[in-house]
Amino acid sequence: MRRMRKVKINHNSEFELDLAPLLAVMVKLVPVLLVSSAFVQMMVIETELPQVVNEAIQRQEKQDIPTNIALEVDAKDGINIVVTEKGKDQVENVPLKNGAFDYEGLHQKLIAVKKAHPEIFKIELNPDGKVPYSEVVKIMDEARQARDVNVKFPVFDAKQGKNVETNYMFPEIVFANMMEG
Amino acid sequence: MSRRRRYEPNLNKNSTFTLNITSMTDMFTIMLVFLLQTYSTSDVQINPEANLRLPSSASMLNPTEAVKISLSQDALKIDDTKIADVKNADFLPQDLEDKDTNFIKPLFAELDKLAKSSSDKAHIKEGRILLQADKELPYQTLRKVMYTASMAGFPQLKLVTMVGD
Repeated sequence: MRRMRKVKINHNSEFELDLAPLLAVMVKLVPVLLVSSAFVQMMVIETELPQVVNEAIQRQEKQDIPTNIALEVDAKDGINIVVTEKGKDQVENVPLKNGAFDYEGLHQKLIAVKKAHPEIFKIELNPDGKVPYSEVVKIMDEARQARDVNVKFPVFDAKQGKNVETNYMFPEIVFANMMEG
Repeated sequence: MSRRRRYEPNLNKNSTFTLNITSMTDMFTIMLVFLLQTYSTSDVQINPEANLRLPSSASMLNPTEAVKISLSQDALKIDDTKIADVKNADFLPQDLEDKDTNFIKPLFAELDKLAKSSSDKAHIKEGRILLQADKELPYQTLRKVMYTASMAGFPQLKLVTMVGD
């Protein structure tokens, strides 16, 4: 007599996941990522060098804004912020603090300058020859962006036709004293 | 008879043994996440030079294709080719122009050659330079490189910095 075999299904059994293909993928991915990963991340600061080209001079003459902001960095006297407006110079000094540059003081003063001239993004940097490169980079950091996220500056966006807020202060840095002897 | 068969141990001599790979997969997953985090998305590879410590900055701009100049405590290089020596944080007098001490002759010659030979490349046409410089060097040494680069028609200078402290 033929009896139908009863198929037993155990609903409580644990099924085993086949991890071998997953592992195979990972073994390939890990070396690929290891090769292409950067353990030291490098970024760049964009600066522009003044050029003795007629074009550049003409472009500067055409600019409507005659206001100019310059930073004079000296290892002894600290940092001078020179704001040239309509031919008049207005100098603010950030003295040294404990023998080093007062970055916090500089930052606060630059925020005040930016609030007075929100349309200017370019800053001229004139460091003294003896100032180390790392200090120059730190000064550029202070000038680029407001550290406090609540500090915003209005910018007129021509595309949208309205004011947009940004926390960028002076992202365009020009080494102005490069051509001097 | 049926009882005896039921209790027969199932010993298959030809079966492959299974490795418990769960823990290994676990480890790989953690490694994968870590490596994905450090994965560099920038399209330009910058090789750090010996005897060169980059300054750290809060800048978050990725490097773009450009002529790579490195200025360490002992040498000035374009890519991996040595251009001039650096001693006591300054260039040697024979590399500088007599009348204009900001002008580095071998650097100008090399950049000029580059500008003439491969002017079809976009980054050379626009005059882009990636400058890696040691953070201890004084600005006057850097200024000489900038001055010469500007003279050679490379006005767009990008300073390479490190992220974090």
